[in-house]
Amino acid sequence: MSLKSAAPRHPLLTTAAWVVGAVAAFYALFWLISFVLGQMPDPIGPRADLFVEGARTTLLLTLISGAFGLGVGALVGLARTSHLWLLRVPASLFIWVIRGTPLLVQLLFVYNALPAILESVGLNVQLNEFSSAVLALALNVGAYNAEVIRAGLQAVPRGQNEAARSLGLSGTQTMVTVVMPQALRIVTPPLVNNMVALLKDSSLASSISLLELTLAGSRVSSETFLPIPVLTTVAAVYLTLTTVMTLFTDQLERRLKVVSR
Amino acid sequence: MTAIIEAHDVHKHFGSFHALRGVNLTVQPGEVVVIIGPSGSGKSTFIRTLNALDPHDAGSITVDGIPLNGKGNLDAIRREVGMVFQSFNLFPHLTVLENITLAPIRVRKASRADAEKRGLELLRRVGIEEQASKYPAQLSGGQQQRVAIARALAMEPKVMLFDEPTSALDPEMIKEVLDVMKELARSGMTMLVVTHEMGFAREVADRILFFDGGNIVEDTTPENFYQNPQHERARTFLSKILDH
Ligand SMILES: Nc1ncnc2c1ncn2[C@@H]1O[C@H](COP(=O)(O)OP(=O)(O)O)[C@@H](O)[C@H]1O
Ligand SMILES: [Mg+2]
Repeated sequence: MSLKSAAPRHPLLTTAAWVVGAVAAFYALFWLISFVLGQMPDPIGPRADLFVEGARTTLLLTLISGAFGLGVGALVGLARTSHLWLLRVPASLFIWVIRGTPLLVQLLFVYNALPAILESVGLNVQLNEFSSAVLALALNVGAYNAEVIRAGLQAVPRGQNEAARSLGLSGTQTMVTVVMPQALRIVTPPLVNNMVALLKDSSLASSISLLELTLAGSRVSSETFLPIPVLTTVAAVYLTLTTVMTLFTDQLERRLKVVSR
Repeated sequence: MTAIIEAHDVHKHFGSFHALRGVNLTVQPGEVVVIIGPSGSGKSTFIRTLNALDPHDAGSITVDGIPLNGKGNLDAIRREVGMVFQSFNLFPHLTVLENITLAPIRVRKASRADAEKRGLELLRRVGIEEQASKYPAQLSGGQQQRVAIARALAMEPKVMLFDEPTSALDPEMIKEVLDVMKELARSGMTMLVVTHEMGFAREVADRILFFDGGNIVEDTTPENFYQNPQHERARTFLSKILDH
């Protein structure tokens, strides 16, 4: 609670520094993973490239669908708190459907059924495995993020809104300068949780033959008939990715606390 | 002299509950009006209609010549009217000085330097200049409420509304807030104050309004009110708060 810890540290600057640090760390991590896997004996060592390629796809899939998922979550979460039912009802419906159906079904639906549906209305869109997985995962994590964001916005006391409005701030200014910064602190830990869960859930994309870490592992496993070392390696790589991710998100949380208290 | 607040036959419903029942009030610039009355009588609701935090649903309200009707001129009115709440409602993620400069910068488009200079002057006026870079949670309740007063004053309002500004405070902090409010009253600010602080009313109020059942049932000077309350409800109410 000292004055020093409250010294101005610009939020954008700290966040930018954090992003640069995280990217550098993941590059280093991938170099380390390829090096370690390359040193391993037979079923792993010769196929290290395949595992690394799979891990890279898993991470990319998580980051891209995670970013879109934040956007979806913010839009749907805001719509959920709107006083206009035209926004509120579709948002609730979306959350209800996504949270009430299995992610695996959603992936299969986007990959297999969506192109046919789009074609029937005259849209010829071909989604490859990766974009299908991004779409399904982003919508899925977006629905869970939306509930977190709604709860976070509603957790900011009404008096904050009233004080801001009585000072003459507009609804948008109040949202951006008063409500959102406070909600941000509340929502960061559960959003981080959703991101880590997303990294693990992305393994389901193997079902639409996206060659991410899980599919890479199960291919090697059925080629070599050596499930124990192969699946242990797959699990260890997931664990490494989630652990490093958690380390960085803990950092981010701490920084947000300092800048927005 | 033209009135700064004119309320005619103001009504307000919450669902089927009739909270304000035809309130009439005219306030002249510089007047200090203390509002008392039993809990639930509509005091908060009434002063909140004056800046449309609770929009009224019948009757007319004019503040400094601007009629309060629908959405269009809401911002204009809110800039004229400052409000201080029982629970302070400071912005916890901003420093004391940032709390004060937020609205001048965003709404009045003041430069940061000007807003900060003015903010520090206001903090000096309420006696806590040295706390400028702290966060609200690091301040005592009395200090927080003084920051809230400075924050409202930063918008240079013509009217200040206070809704039980000392009710959430420990007794030893009440005086420091009342002293700031007295200074403000003497400086000529138009004030509407919901409070049960009788010393404050006696010292600086020009008028006392007694609310009961969603309307003003007595509108008189403090001396008259204490010596000779006209209504039975006012008499029993007075004896209750004076017994304390
Ligand atoms: N937002 C609201 N919704 C429903 N009823 C309300 C609301 N605000 C106030 N009321 C009711 O209106 C009446 C007057 O409330 P209020 O103006 O807060 O009284 P006072 O400030 O005099 O204690 C009370 O009965 C209260 O329950
Ligand atoms: Mg009240």
